[in-house]
Amino acid sequence: MGQLDYVILESDRAVVSGRVLEHESSGNAMLAELYRAHIADWPKFFKMDTLSKVGFVASELLLKELGEKRCESEEYTQNRAVVLFGTTASLCADKNYQETIQDRDNYYPSPALFVYTLPNIVTGEIAIRNHYRGETSFYVVEGADAAQMAFHLSCAFADDSTQSILAGWVDSTANDDFKSFFTLVRREDVGGLEAKLKTIMNNLNI
Amino acid sequence: MILKLKQEIIEVLNLEDVQPSDIDNDAPLFGEGLGLDSIDALELIVLMEKNYGIKLQDPAKGKEIFKSVNVMADYIQKNRTK
Repeated sequence: MGQLDYVILESDRAVVSGRVLEHESSGNAMLAELYRAHIADWPKFFKMDTLSKVGFVASELLLKELGEKRCESEEYTQNRAVVLFGTTASLCADKNYQETIQDRDNYYPSPALFVYTLPNIVTGEIAIRNHYRGETSFYVVEGADAAQMAFHLSCAFADDSTQSILAGWVDSTANDDFKSFFTLVRREDVGGLEAKLKTIMNNLNI
Repeated sequence: MILKLKQEIIEVLNLEDVQPSDIDNDAPLFGEGLGLDSIDALELIVLMEKNYGIKLQDPAKGKEIFKSVNVMADYIQKNRTK
């Protein structure tokens, strides 16, 4: 297992492989601040729900840290999976959508909010951005469990074509409240994966 | 009306960093420029119903109505119920 590259995003904290990223805002405003400072070329970001914004920014920061050029090789497109975990799934987006249909006299279901009422949309946003063609999965779990995550991630390599997985934890309990980590798992990393995940999870306090 | 409509479009479609002056009155809303997609088209249909009481029975009609801000504003003026 090589160097431990990872990204941690919390409502008021952004860390890339141990280095704290400077920012002035928190919550959703921090995500927009990080987007403008480090990404800035994907306007669809502003249409995403919080879960997708967190996953999108975390994945972009990680890929930048890894120095990958988008679509440069098949390992980055055909053979890469996106596998994420979380407890609250799309609950936040579900609540936002529910508000648009709560009042019978003001009943205007929002299509833009509805499309985010599934947790796996965040994996799709990342795959679309990077032209990934591999598996995309979002596991809704009871809690952060490194052994369980390592097991599911190692299973993703069973198909022979998957060479690497953009993996992580994404959880958002309110529009400005979130916790996430992202890391890249390569086929050869599977042996020490649980320990690697535990190290990152200790930094995130999950 | 044109300015108000542009502001509503920017707000409902979350067009961050876009100013009303950035939207050409006669430019197509879809296909270029603003980078709108099919979900945005549905949001514009909801906007017309919510803000102007216009129920678009045939969503395919949106293609004609959303040709430009001018065309959309004209359609709203002629069909609004609130």
